[in-house]
Amino acid sequence: MVTHYTEIAGVVNAELRRMTDAGCAFADARYFDESSNEYLMLYDGNLEGNGAEWERGIGVRVLYQGAWGFAATANLEAIPSCFDRALANGRAAAMLPGFPREMGPARPVTGRFRPPVERDPADVPLSEKLALMQDIDRALQAPHVAHRFVYLRTQRHHIYYWNSEGTEIDRLQVNPYGHLRVMATDAEGRAQRRTHELSSNGQGTRGFEALANDDAFGSHAERLKGELADLLAADALSPGRRSVILLPGQGWLQVHETIGHALELDRILGYERSFMGASHVKPEMIGTLRYGSDKLTCRAGVTPNSPGTFGYDDEGSPQREIVLIDKGLLVNVLSSRGDIAEVNAAAGKTVVTEPGNAARACAFYRPPIDRMPNVNIDPGQDGTLENIIEATEDGIILDYANSWSIGPNREHFHFGCELAWEVKDGVRTRVLKNPSYQGHTLEMWHALDMVGDSSTWRVAQVPNCGKGEPNQVMEVGHGVPVMRFGNVETGERS
Amino acid sequence: MLEPRVRELLCAVRDDARREGIQAEFSFHRERSSLIRLGNSAVALSTSEELTRFGVEVQDGRRIGSYSLTGDVTSAEPLRRALRKAAEICAASPEKEYEPIFGAVEETIDDSRGFDPALEAMPPEEKIGLCAKVIKTVGPGGAYEFSGSWTSGSTEYYYITTANDREAYRRLTDGRLVLAIQEQQRKWEIYSEQAGKDTAAFSAETAIAEFDSLLPIYESQPGWAPPLGNARVIFGPQAIGEMTMMAIWGGFIGRLYEEKQAYTSGKSFGEPLFSQQVSITDAPDHAGVYGMPFDFNGRRRRSFPLVENGAFRGLMYDTRTAAKYGKTPTGHDGAADLVFATGDAPAGRAAAFELAGEGLYIPYLHYVNMPEPSKGILTGSSRFNALCIEGGRPVSPLFSVRVTDSVVNMLSHVVAIASQPAFVDISTSYARRSPEALSVPEYLICDNVRISDRTETF
Repeated sequence: MVTHYTEIAGVVNAELRRMTDAGCAFADARYFDESSNEYLMLYDGNLEGNGAEWERGIGVRVLYQGAWGFAATANLEAIPSCFDRALANGRAAAMLPGFPREMGPARPVTGRFRPPVERDPADVPLSEKLALMQDIDRALQAPHVAHRFVYLRTQRHHIYYWNSEGTEIDRLQVNPYGHLRVMATDAEGRAQRRTHELSSNGQGTRGFEALANDDAFGSHAERLKGELADLLAADALSPGRRSVILLPGQGWLQVHETIGHALELDRILGYERSFMGASHVKPEMIGTLRYGSDKLTCRAGVTPNSPGTFGYDDEGSPQREIVLIDKGLLVNVLSSRGDIAEVNAAAGKTVVTEPGNAARACAFYRPPIDRMPNVNIDPGQDGTLENIIEATEDGIILDYANSWSIGPNREHFHFGCELAWEVKDGVRTRVLKNPSYQGHTLEMWHALDMVGDSSTWRVAQVPNCGKGEPNQVMEVGHGVPVMRFGNVETGERS
Repeated sequence: MLEPRVRELLCAVRDDARREGIQAEFSFHRERSSLIRLGNSAVALSTSEELTRFGVEVQDGRRIGSYSLTGDVTSAEPLRRALRKAAEICAASPEKEYEPIFGAVEETIDDSRGFDPALEAMPPEEKIGLCAKVIKTVGPGGAYEFSGSWTSGSTEYYYITTANDREAYRRLTDGRLVLAIQEQQRKWEIYSEQAGKDTAAFSAETAIAEFDSLLPIYESQPGWAPPLGNARVIFGPQAIGEMTMMAIWGGFIGRLYEEKQAYTSGKSFGEPLFSQQVSITDAPDHAGVYGMPFDFNGRRRRSFPLVENGAFRGLMYDTRTAAKYGKTPTGHDGAADLVFATGDAPAGRAAAFELAGEGLYIPYLHYVNMPEPSKGILTGSSRFNALCIEGGRPVSPLFSVRVTDSVVNMLSHVVAIASQPAFVDISTSYARRSPEALSVPEYLICDNVRISDRTETF
C-alpha cells in the first residue's frame, strides 16, 4: 500500500517524466492527502446536520499536442495507470484540435503555504463546537422567531502538487464558515428571514477562533432578531428607480456575479458557453473597456484571511495581486497559464502579458479551471456608511441576497434581498420588506457613485461557487466596501 | 447486484455494527465518468474518473452522527474506521426533540434497468468523431464557433442498514451531449441537447437537424427585444423542466409547507392551484425518467401524485421532516422523478407556433431562482434558440429577456400542452454523479407571462 508522501512523490515524478517522454508538453499531478469537511447544523435547536466527509486521491493532467487529458483515482496503487488514462484522454482530445494550448515559459517553483490559524478546527472537540452553537441558538430565540438556524462548516485541504517542470508545492488550506438565520412569516403569509455569515476584515487568523469570535459571529444574533421583528412589521418596497446602497453582505454577490465570473478568461474564450455561459467581455476589450465609473477599482487580491487565498494555484503559480479594473478601466482578467497565447491571438494584440493564478481544482477528481481567488473592490474616499446615507436623497440600503439570477453572458441580473432600509433626505427612515433590484452589468457599474472607506470593507467567505464541467464547487473570497449606485430599477412591478 | 467483493465488505461492516450494538445505515456510491469538453470548435479537455464513496449514519435513540469518505474502499479497514467515526460523532451529539426514524430497507431491490455497458464504456474517440461530423456539416469554413460537452458514465447506489438483511441496489447509465454554436459577428447562440440512458440516444443527425431548423432564421433576421409587460410564451422542454422544478421545490416540499414558507402553505389537498390541464407526479417507474426505485431511508419509491388536474394532491416528506412534524415519510430522501403530464396539443414545434399565433418562444431558462418562494415567484432569463412568433411562424431571433412571474400565474394561464413528451436531463456532477431527469411536454403555451427585463444582445 502506497501511503507515504515520499513514496507517492517518487512514483509521481517518475510518471511525469514518462509523460514528457511520451510526447506531452506538460504534465502535472495533484495529490489530495486530505480533503475534509465537517458540517454541523442546528435547526430549531435540533442537530439536523452532523457529519464529516473525507477524501483522498490523485488527479493527473497532461497536455498532449495542445489538448488536455485528465484522469483521477483514489486507488494509490494505480497511479501509473491513472497517468496512462490521462495520456489516452489527451491523445483522444488531440483528434479534434483547436487553438493549441501551451503553458508558456517554464516557471519551476518549490513552495509551501500555510494559512494563519491559531486553532485548527480539526483539533477542536465536537462538544466545544456544539456548545458554541447551542449558546448562539439560545440567543436567537424570541417569541417572534419561528425558526432558527446555526450552521458551522470547517474545511481542510492538504494538497501536494508536482509538475513536469520540476515544481513542487505543499499547500494547506483551512476554511471556517459560519451562518446564522432567523425566520418567521409576516401577516401576508410571506416568509421573512435575516441572515448573518462569518466575514473578516481580511486580517487576523482563520482557525476555529474565527467562529468563536463573538464580535464576528455569535453577537449578531441580537441584531438579526431585531431586524426580523422590523421586517414583520414592515411595508413592502414599492417599485421605482432610486439609489441603491449595497452593504458588503450583498455587495460581494454583485461583484461575484457581474465582475468575477465575467472576467474569468475561460468564459471570455467561450469554454463555458454551453453550460454556465460566456461573458459580455471579449478579448479585444481588455485594456479598453470602461467597465464602470472611476470609483471602481477591482483587484484579484492576496487577502491574508480569506478562503480565496491559497499561496499557489493548481498549476503551481504563486498567488500575486493583480489589478483587474483600474478606476473604471478593464486592465486584466482572471487567467491561467494555458489561456494566455489564445487570448492574445483572439484579441489580435497582446492584452495579457503575465498569466494570473486562477487555475483551481476543487478536488482530486477535478481538473483545474479558471476560478476567482479573492476578487476585491478597493475601499473608496466617500467615508463611512453614515456619510453615504447622509449624502443620499432617495434610496434604499440592501443586505443579503435571498435570490440571484444572472443572464448567460453576465450582462443582466436580478437580485432579491432579505431587507431594505429606506433612505430619505439623508436619513435612514424605516425597514422595507421584499426588496429586489435588477439591471445591466455595465450600466450598474457606471452608476457607482459612492464607495465607502476601509471602515466599511468586509471579506465575504464564500464556500459554494459553482462552475465547470465536470461540475466544481470552489471557495472564494470577496473584500467589498459599502457601495452606492444611482438610479437603479428596484422592486417588482405588478 | 453489486460486485460480490464490495458487497461482502459492506455486509461485513454491517455485521460488525450489529455485534457492537450499533444502529447504522450504510450507503455506497460508485461512478465511472468520462467527459469531453469542446471549446472554439475543438476538444479542450477529455477526462475520466472512477470514484467510490462510502457513507455511514449511526443512530442512538435521538442522537445521529454521519461520516462519509471518498477514497480507497477496497478493503474493510477504511469502512470500519468510518463506522467508528460516525459512532463517535453520534455519541457527542445532543438529543433531538423528536424521535428520528431509523432506516430499514423495505424490500430487496436489485435494479439495473437503464444500464447500458456500451454507454458506460463509450470511448472519447467515438464522441469526438460524432462531434467532428456535426462541426463539419453545420459549420464548414469556421463560420461558427462550437462549444459543448458530452458526459457519460455509470452510477451504482447500494443501501443497507442494521435493521434487516434486505439490500437495495440500483445501477444505471446516463449521458448528455450539448453543443452550442456562436456566430462570430452578431454573437447569437443556438444549441442542441441530447440525453438518455443508452448510446441510442445520441446521433450527429439529431444535432444537425436542430441546427438546420434554426439557422435560417438566425442567419437572416436581426434580433428582437420585446416590450416589457405580459406576453404569451411558448415554453420549450428545458424551460418547462426548470419551471416544474421550481414549482415543486417552492410548493411541495413538506418542510417548507410545514414552516409556512411554501406558496402552498395553508392550502389543503384538493384545492385548485393551477389550470386543470396541469398534472405533475413523482413517477419512479415512468419510462421517461431515470427512475430511482428506493430512497436513502430504505423506502420503495412508488408513483406519488403532486398535482392532479390542477389540484393540490401531495407533499413530499423526507424522513427527518416527517419525524419532526408527525407525518409519514413519502420516499423522498433523495431525488424525485418528476413527470409533467402531456396534454392534447399537436406534436412539433411548428404546430406549437401555429397554435400560439403570436408570442415568444423560450425553450431554455437560464439561472432560475425564486426571489419569493412563499409567493412562488421565479425569475430567469431566456437563452438559446429563443424566437419571436408572429402569424403562427417564427419571424426573428429573440434577444435575451428576463421572465419574473409566479409559477401559480404561469401554470394557471395555460393555453395548450403538447401531446408529445420530452426527456429533460437535469443531472449535475457537483460532488458526485447523480443522474436525474424529468419527463415534460414538448411545449407549454402560457398567457400573461411577465417579461421584466430585456437586452438588445443575445
